[in-house]
Amino acid sequence: MKRLILPLALLLLGARVAVASGTVQVVCEDEKHQRVADAVAWLSQVDAPPAKASPPAEPVTIEQRGQEFAPYVTPILVGTTIAFPNRDSVQHQVYSLSKPKRFELPLYSGNARETVTFDQPGVVTLGCNIHDWMVAYIVVLATPHFAASGADGTASIGGLPAGRYQLEVWHPRLAGQVQREIVIASGDPAPQIILLTLKPDRRIRRAPDASGGGYR
Amino acid sequence: MRFRSFRARLLAVILALVGGAQLAALAIVATVHNANARREISHDLDEAARQFQKEIERGNGYLARTVGALTGDYAFKQIFVLSPDDRATLRSALESFKLRAQPDVVAVLSLDGQTLAETRDGPSAAVYYRALAKAADTSPNLRATSYGVIDGALFSLTAAPIRAPDVVAWIIAGIRLDRKFVADLKETSGVDITLRHHGQTLVTTVRQPADFLSVTQPLALADGDTAEIVLQYSWDEKLAPTRRLERLLAIVGGSSLALAALLAVGIARSISQPVRALAEFTEHVARGDYARRIVLDRADELGRLATAFNRMSEGLAERDRIRDLLDKNVSPEVAAQLMRDGGALGGEEREVTVLFADLRSFTSLSERLPPRELVALLNRFLDRMSAAIEHEGGVIDKYIGDALMALFGAPVSQSEPADRALRAALAMQAALAGLNRELAAEGQPALAFGIGINTARVVAGNMGSRRRLNYSVVGDGVNVAARLEALTRTPEYRATILASEATLRAAQGHYVTRALGSIVVKGRAEPVQAHAVDGFA
Repeated sequence: MKRLILPLALLLLGARVAVASGTVQVVCEDEKHQRVADAVAWLSQVDAPPAKASPPAEPVTIEQRGQEFAPYVTPILVGTTIAFPNRDSVQHQVYSLSKPKRFELPLYSGNARETVTFDQPGVVTLGCNIHDWMVAYIVVLATPHFAASGADGTASIGGLPAGRYQLEVWHPRLAGQVQREIVIASGDPAPQIILLTLKPDRRIRRAPDASGGGYR
Repeated sequence: MRFRSFRARLLAVILALVGGAQLAALAIVATVHNANARREISHDLDEAARQFQKEIERGNGYLARTVGALTGDYAFKQIFVLSPDDRATLRSALESFKLRAQPDVVAVLSLDGQTLAETRDGPSAAVYYRALAKAADTSPNLRATSYGVIDGALFSLTAAPIRAPDVVAWIIAGIRLDRKFVADLKETSGVDITLRHHGQTLVTTVRQPADFLSVTQPLALADGDTAEIVLQYSWDEKLAPTRRLERLLAIVGGSSLALAALLAVGIARSISQPVRALAEFTEHVARGDYARRIVLDRADELGRLATAFNRMSEGLAERDRIRDLLDKNVSPEVAAQLMRDGGALGGEEREVTVLFADLRSFTSLSERLPPRELVALLNRFLDRMSAAIEHEGGVIDKYIGDALMALFGAPVSQSEPADRALRAALAMQAALAGLNRELAAEGQPALAFGIGINTARVVAGNMGSRRRLNYSVVGDGVNVAARLEALTRTPEYRATILASEATLRAAQGHYVTRALGSIVVKGRAEPVQAHAVDGFA
C-alpha cells in the first residue's frame, strides 16, 4: 500500500510545481550594500484577486528567550494565530498597542494561557511591559507570498504562479515605502535586489552598565 | 639742581634712589598682580562657564531620567494610543508627573509636532517644543536638549520619546534657570551670572554695578534664536587682597624711605659737621690764630684731614715765628721790603744819613765780665740805643759786636733824615746817661760810647748770597761816618758825637756844635769837615 501511495504523492507534488513554478529571490541591501536581515518581502498579484490561502492550522510561535523576542520579525497571513511561549525563568507581560491588534497578556511564565489571532493586515509592534528593550514585529499580510530575509539579506518567495506582481518590502527601520512590479514567467526570474534606506537603529540598549544608576 | 648743603644733596640722592626703587617695586608688583588677577579672573570665568554647562547637563540628565520613568509607565503610554484626543487626561497626567519629579514645565507632542498638552498656560512655547522634538527624532538616542525663553525666563529643555514600544509621542521637560539657580551657581563659582535675551536681562546675581571683567557666551535656543550668559567677576573684589598687599608694601616702602632719610641726614651730619668745624678752624687760621687745634676723633679721611690741618696750622705758626724773628733781626721796614720784593738782589743810589755808635773800652770790659753778663750788658745797651734810633724812625742796619749802624732815609725815604739822626744821637746820649745811672745803682761801671754821623749818597740794596741777604748801604759816606765815630776817641775833641759838614748842612734844626776843622780820615784822600754836636740849641 505504501509503495502505491508514494508515487501518487510525488505526482501530486509535481503537478503543483507545474502550476506554481516561480521562485523570487529578494535580496535586501542598505545604502552601504550591506545585506539586511529581518526585512519582510511580499508579492501581491496585480491582475488576479488575492490568492486563496488559509492560515496554518497550528499557531505560529514567537518565543521569549533571554529576555528578547524571537524571532524579531514574523510575517504572517491574515487570520494566523500566534502563541507566545515564555522560555525564560522570569515573567513577561507581552502587549501591543498597534492598531491592527491591541492585546495584553498579563504577567506569565511558561506557555501563555491564550494565543492571539491576527485578523487585520498591518504591522503589529510587540513589547514587554516590564522589559523596555524587548521589541518584536508581526507583519500581518493579506497575501500568502511572503518571506523574511535571513542573515544573508535574502528572502526567498516560492510557489508563484506566472503573472504580474506588486513586490513590497518592509523593515522596522525602513524610511518610506518600497514597491516594485515584477513579472513571473516560466522559469525563475533574476533575483530582485532591493535597496533599503534605513533609519538608525534606535532600540533601547539593554546593557545594564550603560543605563545603570550611580552619580552622573 | 644746586644744593646749598651737602646734607640736602645727600638727602635728595638717597631719597631719589630709595624712593625710585620703592616706586619701581610697587609698580612691578601692581602690574604682576593685575596680570595675575586678570588671568585668574579669566580662568574663574571659564571655570564658571564650565560649571554652568555642567549644571545644565546635570539638570537635563535628571530630567531625562525622570521623564524616562514617566514614559515607561504603561498606563501613560496607553493614553497616547487609546485616547490621544483626551487632552484633559494628558494634562492631568503631566501635572502629576510635575509633582513627582518637579520640572518647571512639561509638554507632550504628537509625532507630527502638535502640542498635545503642557503644564502651563499663556503664550505657546510650541516653537521650542517642535524644534526639540525634531532634533530628538534625528539624534541617535532620540533625545535632545536646548534652551528656550518661556514666560520671560530661560529654560533648559530636554526632549525624550514616548515608546509603546515604538515612538508614539515626544515629551519635553524643562527647568527654569531662575534666581535661585544663578545664585547657587554664584555661590559655588564666585562669579556673577546674568542671563540675557535680546539685550533684556532675564535674571542676574549682580546687585550693584561695578567694574567687571566679563565673558559673554551665546546660548543657542531651540528655535535658532540666541540668548546669552554673561559671566562677570568684580575687578575690585578680585584685587582686594592685592590692594591690601600694595598698601602694606607702601607702608613698608614709606618706612624704609623715612629710615633712609634719617640715615642720610645722620651720614651727612657726620660728614658736614667735621667739615664745618674744619671750615671754622680754617677761618681762625686765616685770621692768624694758629694756637687752635682741631680734634676729630675719627680714623677716616676726615680724621686725616684734621691732622693735616693741624700740621698746616703748625707750619703756618712756624712761618710766622720765622717772620717774627726776621723782624727782630732786620728792621721791620727792611723785613717788609724783603717780603714785598721777594728778597731780590737789587741796588739803588740814594742819599742817606748813616749813624755809627760804638762802646768804648769794650775790650777791657769783655775781659772783666763773664760772657753771660757781658752779653746781657751789651744787649741792654743796644736795646736802649735801638729804642732811641727807632723812636726817630731810624733803621738799625746791623750790630757789629759792641757797635751798631743805623740808617735814616733808607730803605724808606723820610722827611729830614739828618735831623732825625742828630736827634737820635742826642737821645742816645741821654739814654746812655740813664743806663749809667742804673748801672751805678747796680754797682757796675759806667759805659761810654762815641757816635759818628754822616750824610752822603750811597748805594743801598739787598746784599749777600742767594741764601742769606742783608739790606745795607755801601759807599764812601759809610766809611766817613765810621771814621767820625772813631774820632770821638780823640781826647782833645772832647766830643761824644761827631757829625760831618754834609749832615749839618742837610739839617734844618738848630744844634750846639763846634767846628773841629778839616780832618783827614783813614782811607780817604779828601779831608772831612767835622763838627762836634753837644746838644740842642
